[in-house]
Amino acid sequence: MPVSALKARDYKSGIKPVWCPGCGHFAVLSALTKALAYLELPKEAVGLVSGIGCSSRLPSYVDSYGFHGVHGRALAVATGLKAARPDLTVLVTGGDGDGFSIGGNHFLHACRRNMDITYIVMDNRVYGMTKGQASPTTAPDWSRSKMTPHGTGVRRFQPAAMALAAGATFIARAFSGNPSEMTRMLVEAIRHPGFSLLHCLSPCLTFRPDQRDWKEKAHGITEEPTSDPLEAARLINADDGLGLGIVYAEQMPVWQPRTDASRSVEALEEELRV
Amino acid sequence: MNSLLSGDITSVAEFLAHALELEVESAERYNELADNMEVHNNPGVAELFRLLAEYGRRHAGAVRQQASTYELPAIPPWDFKWNCPEGPESPCAEDTNYLMNKCDALQVALHNEQRGRDFYAEVARSSPSSDVQRIAAEMAEEEGGHVEMLKEWIAREACDFQPAVDDLDPPNMPE
Repeated sequence: MPVSALKARDYKSGIKPVWCPGCGHFAVLSALTKALAYLELPKEAVGLVSGIGCSSRLPSYVDSYGFHGVHGRALAVATGLKAARPDLTVLVTGGDGDGFSIGGNHFLHACRRNMDITYIVMDNRVYGMTKGQASPTTAPDWSRSKMTPHGTGVRRFQPAAMALAAGATFIARAFSGNPSEMTRMLVEAIRHPGFSLLHCLSPCLTFRPDQRDWKEKAHGITEEPTSDPLEAARLINADDGLGLGIVYAEQMPVWQPRTDASRSVEALEEELRV
Repeated sequence: MNSLLSGDITSVAEFLAHALELEVESAERYNELADNMEVHNNPGVAELFRLLAEYGRRHAGAVRQQASTYELPAIPPWDFKWNCPEGPESPCAEDTNYLMNKCDALQVALHNEQRGRDFYAEVARSSPSSDVQRIAAEMAEEEGGHVEMLKEWIAREACDFQPAVDDLDPPNMPE
C-alpha cells in the first residue's frame, strides 16, 4: 500500500491495549497514529522507544519499529538508535515517573544534546502501574496514597522549565481531552528539527479520578510560540500547569554523531573548531 | 446549546469529507471500546459496542458510496469544522469505565447520536449551499431515527441509570 494511502488505523498493531477504560492514553495513541498518517511516514521509517509504565506500553500498539526498554532509559536507547540510524523518525513515549524521576538525568542531557528526537510524555501525575503512588509531577499535598498519607511535601517537577533550561528547542503541552489539537502539536513536534518535548496531560481516572476536572480547567495559551528563551521562560513561569499549546520553538544546530569510518584531518579540525 | 459547528461548510465535497470522518471515527472508537471491554472482562458491553461499531461502519460505507463521484478534500484532523475534540459521534474514553453496564453504554451511544444529529442539522441550517443543506438535512433525519431507536432500546432495557455498583475488590485501592 502506498504511504499516502495509509490511514491512522493502518498504524495500529492490532494488539488490544490493556489500559483501563477511561484512560487518557487512548487519545494519545489515536493522536499519534493520526499524526503518522498525516505526515505519510512509512511504517519502517519510524522507531518508537519507551521505558516502563502504563504509557510505555504504547509501542506495542503501533505498527512500526518499537522497543519497550528499561525503566527511565528510553531516551538513552532512543539516542543510540538515532545515532546509528539518523534516517529514522525516532519517537519516545513514557510517563512522568519514567521520564522525570527514574530517567530524570537522561531527560536533561537529551534536551541539551538536541538530537532530532520527539519525546512524548504522558503525564498523569501518578505511578499508575504500581497502583497509585505520588510521582515527580504530583502536587505536594496529594495524600491519596498510603505511602504519602500527608502528601509528599515536595514541590512538583516542572518539565517545561527544566527542558528550556537544559536546551530543548521545542516545548509544548497537549491534553488527551483534545486529541485533534494534540495531533496538530505532534505533527509540529515531529517536524521540528531537534529535541522536542510534547508534555501530554493524560488523566489516570483509576488512581486520580480528580483529574476529570482537567476538561474544564485546561486552557489554551494565547501567545504565539516564541523562539526567544527569555520570553519562553516568562510564559512557563506564568503557567498554571494546565496551559495548552506550543510555548517555544527555536531552530538550533541539531547534534548528530557521524558514523563514517574514516575522515580527513581537515574535516576533523573543522568539527573540533571552537 | 453550544454550537457544534465552527465554520461554514460550503461545498458537497467538503461536507461529505466531514460526514465520512465522523462515521469512520465513530466506528473505530466503538471498536476500540469493545476491545477494551473485552480486555476488562465486560463481554456484555463489549458486544453492544461492537454492534454500534458495525452500525457506524455501515453508515461510513453509505457515505463513502455517496462520495464516490466527488474528489474529497484532504482535511487535517485538527481542521474539521466541528467544535468538539473529535467527531461529534465519537464516544469519549473518559465516559467509560470497567463497571459500566449495557444501559450506561446505550446512554453514551445516545449522547453521541444526538450530537451527530445536531451537527448535521446545524450544517443544514447554516450552509450557503442548497445542495449541502439538502444532504445534511437528510443525514440529520437519519441520525434522528437512530436517536429514537436508541431511546426505544433504553426503554426496553428498563434502564434506571443508578450509579455503578461498588466494586468490593477495586483496582484503585491505594497502596
